[in-house]
Amino acid sequence: MDDSTKLAFGTKIKTMLGNELIVARWLAEGGQGDIYIIKYNEQFMALKWYKPKGLGKDPQAFYDNLKNNAKHGAPSEEFLWPLDVTEWMNGSFGYVMELRPPGYSELSDFMLTEVRFPSFRKITDAALHIVSAYRILHNQGYSYQDLNDGNFFINPNTGKVLICDNDNVAPNGMETGIAGKPRYMAPEIVLGKNMPNSLSDRFSMSVILFILFCLNHPLEGKKSLVPCLSPELQEKLYGSEATFIMDPSNRENGPHPEIHKNTTVVWPYLPDYMQDLFLTAFSQKALHNPNARPSELEWLKKLVRFRSEIVPCECGNEIFTENGKNCNCERCREKMQVPYRIRFRDYAIPGIADSRIYRCQLGICNTDEALKPVGHVIAKKSDKRALGLKNLSNQVWSVELASGKTRKVAPQEIMPLRDGMSVHLYNEVIKIEANE
Amino acid sequence: MNMPTTDILGGTPRRALNIFYVLDTSGSMDGIPVATLNRAMEETIEILKEQAKTNADALLKIAVLEFNSDCRWLQAAGPEEAEDFMWQEVKAGGLTEMGAALTELNSKLSRNAFLSSMTGAYLPIIIFMSDGYATSDYKPALDKIRKNKWFARAIKIGFAMSDDADIKMLAEVVGNSEAVVKTNDWELFARLIQFSSVTASMLASTSRTCTEPVTGADIIKEAIDSGEATEDILIDEHVEYDPEPEVEIDSGDWEEEDWD
Repeated sequence: MDDSTKLAFGTKIKTMLGNELIVARWLAEGGQGDIYIIKYNEQFMALKWYKPKGLGKDPQAFYDNLKNNAKHGAPSEEFLWPLDVTEWMNGSFGYVMELRPPGYSELSDFMLTEVRFPSFRKITDAALHIVSAYRILHNQGYSYQDLNDGNFFINPNTGKVLICDNDNVAPNGMETGIAGKPRYMAPEIVLGKNMPNSLSDRFSMSVILFILFCLNHPLEGKKSLVPCLSPELQEKLYGSEATFIMDPSNRENGPHPEIHKNTTVVWPYLPDYMQDLFLTAFSQKALHNPNARPSELEWLKKLVRFRSEIVPCECGNEIFTENGKNCNCERCREKMQVPYRIRFRDYAIPGIADSRIYRCQLGICNTDEALKPVGHVIAKKSDKRALGLKNLSNQVWSVELASGKTRKVAPQEIMPLRDGMSVHLYNEVIKIEANE
Repeated sequence: MNMPTTDILGGTPRRALNIFYVLDTSGSMDGIPVATLNRAMEETIEILKEQAKTNADALLKIAVLEFNSDCRWLQAAGPEEAEDFMWQEVKAGGLTEMGAALTELNSKLSRNAFLSSMTGAYLPIIIFMSDGYATSDYKPALDKIRKNKWFARAIKIGFAMSDDADIKMLAEVVGNSEAVVKTNDWELFARLIQFSSVTASMLASTSRTCTEPVTGADIIKEAIDSGEATEDILIDEHVEYDPEPEVEIDSGDWEEEDWD
């Protein structure tokens, strides 16, 4: 390969923030450029250095947009965001970002099952981080534009996510010239009707979410097993005739029993509200009308609920508890004791040790607070069977007891869980119900 | 209800992506050319192997057809998965029977032969290399293979090596003179066959600026744009050959049998 665009060890480059970086070593090559490890402000960081030909039709506009993004700062900690942009050198430039910390794998490694999540709860955590990050990005007026499976680094053991390739992020509505990656582009982009925006991001994000859970592309069922994916067929399968693999009204693209086994295995385990959300996201209406796609907040609410309802049995098995009821573990045959149900307006989650109440489960909230735990169920140190709910919010809760008495629970205080309690917080009421 | 454990799931289904190399190993290739060809192919395959390991978009498969007085598949059983592929040294000798090579290729570009895949497939990629003129008439074989849908739609690239190569023949075979590289620099060949193979194999994984399909000519243009080669490699006269003069294509709704 041609080495003329490579940076030599020790090369010094000035940045827009008035710093100087020193190239330490070459790390990897991508389509648009190379990644280097650099010394920046006495720290080791990563530098993405573009190939001059990787800068698109309008390199100056690309550069200016990148500078604006760096000045704006990362929308949330999930983004491996451009922190500083270099000055031009030899017809190109680059940007500085954090190095990927250890323990994170590319989404493609999960798709190839080189890496696996230890549990569905961790998959849900990863999904929550992804949705939350895009919610914040979109609510700040940006679109990501080139959302695909290559953008994510995920830690399978924590579910934490890092989103890379943020160089096409631009104010929503601004065209950066990128259309996207085949199979991840929204139908309207495939069909050339529009350029990427935050609504097409929503489609691509739903594709990623379905892949996370089902290890299958949502539009790839029997109909997609074409002998040869010609450009015309590609346009049909991912554009004009796109059909969800689980679409109940059109089974033409349903799962092949062998090839799409992952989907047939996982789908029945997804609770109704998760199935419904995927069915909405990939309904004919949402495929062809970008405005009909579920919002990030809708995803967050359902995912948070799903996460709460997956509880680990002592034997290591994961159990899906519906509406916080008791259930049996099929592996160890033991009854899974769920002492309480924590009931929200339209559903309940299990009240067991480590259950959490998130801010987005309680009425309207600020974008950056959605995934903040406001309540955490904890067991008493001296008696593990005695459960309490810790107030992690910054509000004083008002708790109505079964007797009719009212008590106040200050931030960081713990209230015991008892049948018949009603907790008033954020203009909502949650009820504590004992299971039989 | 118990959730399934995550280890019962297999990898995400991937479509097959077949890369065919049709390589001239006639007598004129003896010496440096065939030695360079062996090294270039070995290195290209090493890189493809590395990429195949992390490619969640396509299951990369490779097949090599060498031709001289006769032709021979290096993998008799059909395209092999890149991860298991091992380059076998080729030797030079004999004539340049391009017609025989096209006939053999045509017989294997079928779902009943080399192109069966349960998970479906992407458009195949076919890379030709020749350093001379065909010894006998290749036109009848070319006319036949042009009617093969797989061939007609494949992403095709040609390498006309040495000043003695029949540039026109290669342009006719790949269907577009802009998809042909002419050079007598074997080091450049090594770089470009690597570049073209890697670029073509990553097409399904690369973000694009438009939704237009990519052709062999686009890949050669990209090689020039990215500084891998200069415009000298292009043929002066631009000719496009209708891949299927008598058959209407592009309808997008071919019958299943069309792909057999």
